[in-house]
Amino acid sequence: MAEVILENICKTYGNNFRAIDRLNLSIEDGEFLILVGPSGCGKSTALRMIAGLEDVTSGSLRIGGIDVVDMPPKDRDIAMVFQSYALYPHMTVFENIAFSMRLAGKPKAERKKRVDEIAKILQLTSLLDSKPANLSGGQRQRVAMGRAMVREPAAFLMDEPLSNLDAKLRVQMRAEITSLQKQLGVTTIYVTHDQTEAMTMGDRVAVLKGGVLQQVDTPKRLYESPVNAFVAGFIGSPSMNLFEGTLTGDELTAGTFAIQLRDAAFARRPGLRSYAGRKIVFGIRPEHLYDSSLESGRKYQTLPAKVTSIEELGSEHIVHLNIDAVRVDSGDPDAVRDFGLASNAVAKFEPESTVRSGSEIRLALDDTKLHFFDPETHLAI
Amino acid sequence: MTRQKRSRHRLKRTVAPYLYLSPSLVIIGLLMLLPMVTVISYSFQNSAVLRRDPSFAGLKHYQAIFADPVFWASLWHTLYFTCMSVVFHMTIGMIFALMLNSDRINPTLRNILRVLYILPWLFTAVIIAVIWRLLLEPNGVVNSILMQLGLIGSKIEWFSSPETALHAVTFANIWAGYPLFMVSLLAGLQGIPKDFYEAADIDGAKGYQKLTFITIPQLMPIIISISLLDFIWTMQVFPLIWITTGGGPIYSTEVLSTYTYKLAFSSYNLSQASASAVVILLISLGLTLFYIRYQKAR
Repeated sequence: MAEVILENICKTYGNNFRAIDRLNLSIEDGEFLILVGPSGCGKSTALRMIAGLEDVTSGSLRIGGIDVVDMPPKDRDIAMVFQSYALYPHMTVFENIAFSMRLAGKPKAERKKRVDEIAKILQLTSLLDSKPANLSGGQRQRVAMGRAMVREPAAFLMDEPLSNLDAKLRVQMRAEITSLQKQLGVTTIYVTHDQTEAMTMGDRVAVLKGGVLQQVDTPKRLYESPVNAFVAGFIGSPSMNLFEGTLTGDELTAGTFAIQLRDAAFARRPGLRSYAGRKIVFGIRPEHLYDSSLESGRKYQTLPAKVTSIEELGSEHIVHLNIDAVRVDSGDPDAVRDFGLASNAVAKFEPESTVRSGSEIRLALDDTKLHFFDPETHLAI
Repeated sequence: MTRQKRSRHRLKRTVAPYLYLSPSLVIIGLLMLLPMVTVISYSFQNSAVLRRDPSFAGLKHYQAIFADPVFWASLWHTLYFTCMSVVFHMTIGMIFALMLNSDRINPTLRNILRVLYILPWLFTAVIIAVIWRLLLEPNGVVNSILMQLGLIGSKIEWFSSPETALHAVTFANIWAGYPLFMVSLLAGLQGIPKDFYEAADIDGAKGYQKLTFITIPQLMPIIISISLLDFIWTMQVFPLIWITTGGGPIYSTEVLSTYTYKLAFSSYNLSQASASAVVILLISLGLTLFYIRYQKAR
């Protein structure tokens, strides 16, 4: 068990493509850190550099206080779980889990004892003689975990380990991995592009974009106070709605509607006043938009909107809307899919909502939950 | 539907698949089955082909062959020729495939090697035989190089001395045949997921451990099928040996194929030649069954 510290880590490929730019991260002993970001943001590269599978161009990397930049992977005292699991198809579950011990020349009795212990924790005891091809996705995932655990490493590195599982199993394995990590107390760095995994599993979440670290914080703080429009858009599902508006006095205007801001909004953000008379980016999460015809939405101010489509999920309705405002792109390539061509906003309504596709409605908005960003830098105000 | 109509419909459904298959069945029958059956029947006749009304000979020709020491010599030569060829095809093919698949070798050099290594495959057996006859001539390049290096004292007659002839034809056949293994194994190597090696790196595997624990087990299906096929093919090699040594000197490179050919077209003993051909057929059949069984098991 150890802390992992990355200082000014850079990765530049031969064609001068900078995959990671001055990454600074400090992961405490026993911490579960999630590296998250859209595809191509460098999160897997960062993990592979920690593992030693990818060279570090510059910067320092310490695991348990030891500088490991020039060490081969096997000397770094880490274990990795691959997206594909990388289980050897010609070996049984036992042989797969015991592989590193076999390489290390550990006696057979010791191997058996250790593998049996791990198999018990992972409920694999009855499967030890099976080949990976005869296992289900979840069982293979557990074998991959077992192979990592057998070495009692200083840190676990996991590269999108749940992305090959179906939705239901993913939810189950999410909980299993989290509780296993707590039980073992091993420092864990977990890469994912799935922000639900990011929000539910980690002690802290590091959001990357284009090789640059955007924010590292607890899931709750990432959700409540994102440092910029990208993090705001990336964290949360569906994504935060971001629009262009103008601040005049206490009023935020966009298109044909205006939102009254309270003093508290300005009191919390000293910089907001300076945007008076200027363009500003404002954001509101889908769960802070309400159907004004329902009880829950009565107390808020409203603005006109046209419903373009509705996804009824049972527990809630995801309502796609068109409002008279210019949508702002947060820079998250995955966010596009949340918005149809005809709509520019998404709201989460209670299942009691009776709005129909195509109807004009009054959309209620909780103005205390508004987020404000600089229109140029996209930094939070 | 009346009963008659229904039964006709059923008949159509049963017959239709066979109708679709019939062209290929006819071709296989004419080109493969008919000659095989004919050869088998010849082997039980006296003066087959030569006489219009050959009499039944029983196992006479088989007995004659089994009593012939040259037959046993050629069987032994065939086994030596085949086993050595397959083992070295395999080994050389594997080494070259590993080289071509390695990141440690400069890509330009790799492309040049790729072309060089595959060259033997471009030649027909006749050309290969002629090339090696020229190279291994007593006054040829190989002898001259070996003498300059001081490895041999006098010129060796590679193809014409009974001690070296079998090794020389085997060598020529190894040279001619390894590219099939190389290409198949290279395709296999490229199909092994990179993750396996990365996982092994993290687990602390050394180079040779990765080879024995990952590469070879992963390639095993290819190794077994190509080796079996190569065994079947090499057992029947004829032109290379016929053109380089013709089975000589003093039967020292006589293999089953040349032995059979001589019986048929030098001695015109077509019945005995057929019996010998049937023996080759049976050995090949055994190996083929083994191959099919293996393919099914996978």
